Amino acid sequence: MEFVHEGCQAPCSIKGIVIMMENAWLIPLFPLLSFLILLLFGKRLKEASAYVGILFTLASLVYSILVLFERFSEPTYGTNFEWLTIGDLHLTAGFEVNQLNALMLVIVSLVSFLVHTYSKGYMQGDERFPVFYAYLGLFTFAMLGLVISPNLLQTYIFWELVGVGSFLLIGFYFYKEEARAAAKKAFIMTRIGDVGLFIGMILLFWQTKSFEYKEIFAAVDAGEISTSMITLTAILIFIGAVGKSGQFPLHTWLPDAMEGPTPVSALIHAATMVAAGVYLVASLFPLFAASKTALLTIAVIGAFTAIFAASIGLVQTDIKRVLAYSTVSQLGYMMLALGSAGYVAGVFHLMTHAFFKALLFLAAGSVIHAVHTQNIEEMGGLWKKLKLTGPLFLIGTLAISGVPLFSGFFSKDEILAAAWEGGHPILFLLALIAAFMTAFYMFRLFFMVFTGEARGSQKHVHESPANMTYPMILLGVLAIIAGYVNTPWFGTFLGDWLVDGNEALAQHGHIEGPVWIMIAATVVSLAGIYLAYLMYYKRSLARNWLSGTGDTLHTIVLNKYYVDEFYQLTVLAATTAISYFLRFIDVFLVEGLVKGVVGIVQGLGRAGSKLQSGQVQTYGAVAFIGLALLVVIFAFTGGYLR
Amino acid sequence: MNLSAVLSLLVFSPLLGIIVLALMPKQAEKAIKIVGFLGTLPALFLSLAAYLHFQWGKDLADFAVAKQWIQFRGLNVDEPYFAVNYELGLSGFQLLLVALTAIVATLSAIAAARFVKKEWKGYFMLFLLLEIGMLGVFTAENLILFFIFFEITLIPTFFLIGKWGYFEKEKAAYSFLIYNGLGSAVLLIVIMVLFAKTGTTNIDLLTQMMADPSAPLSSDLKLGLFIALLIAFGVKLPIFPLHSWMLKVHVQAPPSVVMIHSGILLKIGAYGLIRFGMGIFPEQFDQLATLIAILGVINLLYGAFLAFIQTDFKMVLAYSSISHMGIVLIGLAAMNQAGVQGAIFQVVSHGLISALLFFLVGILYERTDTSLIENLGGLAKGMPIAAGFLLAAGMASLGLPGMSGFVSEFMAFLGLFEEMPWIAAVGTIGIIMTAAYLLRAILGMTYGKAHREFTGVLDLKGVEFVPVIVLMLLIVLIGVYPSVLSSPLQTTLETIMPGLGG
Repeated sequence: MEFVHEGCQAPCSIKGIVIMMENAWLIPLFPLLSFLILLLFGKRLKEASAYVGILFTLASLVYSILVLFERFSEPTYGTNFEWLTIGDLHLTAGFEVNQLNALMLVIVSLVSFLVHTYSKGYMQGDERFPVFYAYLGLFTFAMLGLVISPNLLQTYIFWELVGVGSFLLIGFYFYKEEARAAAKKAFIMTRIGDVGLFIGMILLFWQTKSFEYKEIFAAVDAGEISTSMITLTAILIFIGAVGKSGQFPLHTWLPDAMEGPTPVSALIHAATMVAAGVYLVASLFPLFAASKTALLTIAVIGAFTAIFAASIGLVQTDIKRVLAYSTVSQLGYMMLALGSAGYVAGVFHLMTHAFFKALLFLAAGSVIHAVHTQNIEEMGGLWKKLKLTGPLFLIGTLAISGVPLFSGFFSKDEILAAAWEGGHPILFLLALIAAFMTAFYMFRLFFMVFTGEARGSQKHVHESPANMTYPMILLGVLAIIAGYVNTPWFGTFLGDWLVDGNEALAQHGHIEGPVWIMIAATVVSLAGIYLAYLMYYKRSLARNWLSGTGDTLHTIVLNKYYVDEFYQLTVLAATTAISYFLRFIDVFLVEGLVKGVVGIVQGLGRAGSKLQSGQVQTYGAVAFIGLALLVVIFAFTGGYLR
Repeated sequence: MNLSAVLSLLVFSPLLGIIVLALMPKQAEKAIKIVGFLGTLPALFLSLAAYLHFQWGKDLADFAVAKQWIQFRGLNVDEPYFAVNYELGLSGFQLLLVALTAIVATLSAIAAARFVKKEWKGYFMLFLLLEIGMLGVFTAENLILFFIFFEITLIPTFFLIGKWGYFEKEKAAYSFLIYNGLGSAVLLIVIMVLFAKTGTTNIDLLTQMMADPSAPLSSDLKLGLFIALLIAFGVKLPIFPLHSWMLKVHVQAPPSVVMIHSGILLKIGAYGLIRFGMGIFPEQFDQLATLIAILGVINLLYGAFLAFIQTDFKMVLAYSSISHMGIVLIGLAAMNQAGVQGAIFQVVSHGLISALLFFLVGILYERTDTSLIENLGGLAKGMPIAAGFLLAAGMASLGLPGMSGFVSEFMAFLGLFEEMPWIAAVGTIGIIMTAAYLLRAILGMTYGKAHREFTGVLDLKGVEFVPVIVLMLLIVLIGVYPSVLSSPLQTTLETIMPGLGG
């Protein structure tokens, strides 16, 4: 195996101190070790499994932070070795540390570490406790591997592996029918998207003879790929992102994925894996930026998903499902940002969302842990009983609603500015409405869970143990302060750093929108909160106020626009119909062929058996005629047939 | 270094086991099982030694053997002899298949020791004979010898299915024999025509002769011969619509035989198509490449859609085999390095994965007396380890990266997308369908509620871990570090590719 050092230009070889980045491959390796150890010895370790998982992810976290700091002062580092030889084609594997993935490494390992810690309390007493930690390790390994991949093929490999991690954890309660269905659905629906990525990746390969991001960008830059090919491959790759990030029309698996344990929802289905689609588009941004059509597609899908999912979130009654639709909607926001050429905006929101959404899920987990139900109709009045969870949930809610000074405010503002400056006034408007809805349904959730009278049967409600609350407190702090790394007021440090030294991204850095956008966003968000306040706290407005004209609209939204039913009736029915049609062919045509073959063989057999009459004279005569024929043939041809 | 005896030793080493078994009393169950297992080991060690020999940078040609065997001619003394020599050899491709055969055979012997309940002596003697046939098929360097070994595989398989199988074993055995018999008949015709026209059956010699434009065969005849080969090996692979015999075999044969059948015997079809179809008739292969690609996609989708509605897990796996063999065709039809390497990877990978899956099916059936999906469910509770391995094997089968199935599927599609992107794009539906039918079946059996109480259902234990762990490790090894397969293949690709003009 020969290591080829790349990306290490003259200055870094002179300085030569990139020890952390040089060994960044260790970061995904720690959780892999955790997975293997727990797989083999989990049964014996029992509850101690948690410590194995926590320690290994802590190692990843510490290392990631060191790498991030090193990356501040050093240029991008990458290395490759040959993975697979196909004749003249040499496919490589390796890793790279650039700004985007250095940041992602920290986000992923941080959330993973916090979720590992939190789960020790949440999963206490579960029979398959070690298995849970093993799966968490597998997922974290795959996600970190995805993040440091320097080429498309490796990205695809880890892309699929995170899918498996997600699948295993959604189906963790395997004995529940819903969990089985949800796990299956998640895997298959994301795979539909993955096939898009698969085709796009291969088509790109034949254009550039390489999977390396660098080579692909160079080819795009040099105009070696036709515009139509760029558009086609970019959209195909985006289909992969649509599947993974739960964008319309492949979004239906994500809310169902809430069947998994809540810490899993926080880690996989809020902060990390579902953001992988956004991350993919971001890391291939120079490719997408080369096609206006591709960008527009992303922006439209993103904006539509944002408002579409937000509208469903308005009426859901399961705490986790509300959060799930909100995730879908927020991911739509990020896509809208990227599609409007707001590279920094998309990545920025990816980061802040990871923190406040993980916080919200963990807080929701804490609530579920306390009241043993997920139905918000059966909650209420928990503010006084959950003294820590309540305020933390409120912080998350304020952040996601885009209330000024919280992290979500800054990143959402950046997205709205990007959409406006990108020349999509309609999409901008959709995003603004979605922001209103977000503020409304999030506060609806908050008021219904934490204020008013306790509904349902709540006994012995008490706050969660420390190993659950500490991770939430840390995330709460981050949900407040994370936005200040990139503000129009105190400097756009993050944005400047992200595009630093990258010409392809330079023009997609921080976008300075007009001031009225920030004001509009604030107004919209406060209006949403106020409406929720009137309806669910003061109750001065009837709850069916919005759907006052009749229940049709409400029913449609409550049933998630019947998308699942639509798929049931079209895709699934068609697949089954094709299958039965083919079975018809198999049973009648192919078996018919078999009968034909068997018939011929049997016929020959019967004919043959007639020859065996038992009359020795006949045998003798036949033998004699045969011999005579052979002699005649030999006489004429002098040997064998020519 | 002269290693010419090694290969003959490798191929015929199971004979030792047969002889010892012949001298043993019928009732000595345990001893028979041990001898049957030991009988597979010399071939295993020798093939692994040959692999190491290659990896240490030595030449595989060291193993080649050529001895005069049969000669004949007409009465004219001045005519040249027709000679059939005893010629064995190993290329990288053959080496992989020999190693695969040896590994699966050893593991199948372990499975047989677990699953076969009667007449062990007869079973293991036939089984070892079958192994000789398979090893011979992959090492034979001339067509007559190939054909003889090919026939040697048929007869033991027929008896193994017909005697030790499930309820409709006789029917399955006969349909196996009729189809494969007809396939061999067609193959024999092709071989005889080639022999008569060129005077040799040596494969390398034939390959060279056919590349020579002055070869004594018209292009029409070549095309006819190639189509005949496609049919002969199409039965074996199997290619739609010649597949119905193998469904019966998959369902009715005992698990240890299905491991061999699905793992190795089907691969003879792929081997023949690559070595003879592509090797001897590259132009004709090129002429029909589009047709082969379409057949490949049909196989892939037909198998996948039918697997989606099966109620018996064995049938799911049987159709899944058809589907996966479609990927072999897809890769070959691409006729570029990526495609052909993908096809060969798929041959090895599917050999390992299907052996694993059928071993697990054997376990499930033994424990629960059923392989009907609807009768099972929730098995992950009672037998978590077996269920875990079943899921992992299913993931390998659906082409999860990090396992062997992905590498082969990826390369086959990579190849075809360069040549026929539209056909390849249709084929990718198969990637989704594979996930759909496998998850439906496997989650149906292991997740959810148990439909009935399986009292005393035991998880994997003792010797059962050996095949499961060995196969799983190999599958992951190939998936993570595919160079273990690709490095021996590079020379093979170089020799096949010039014939393809690319």
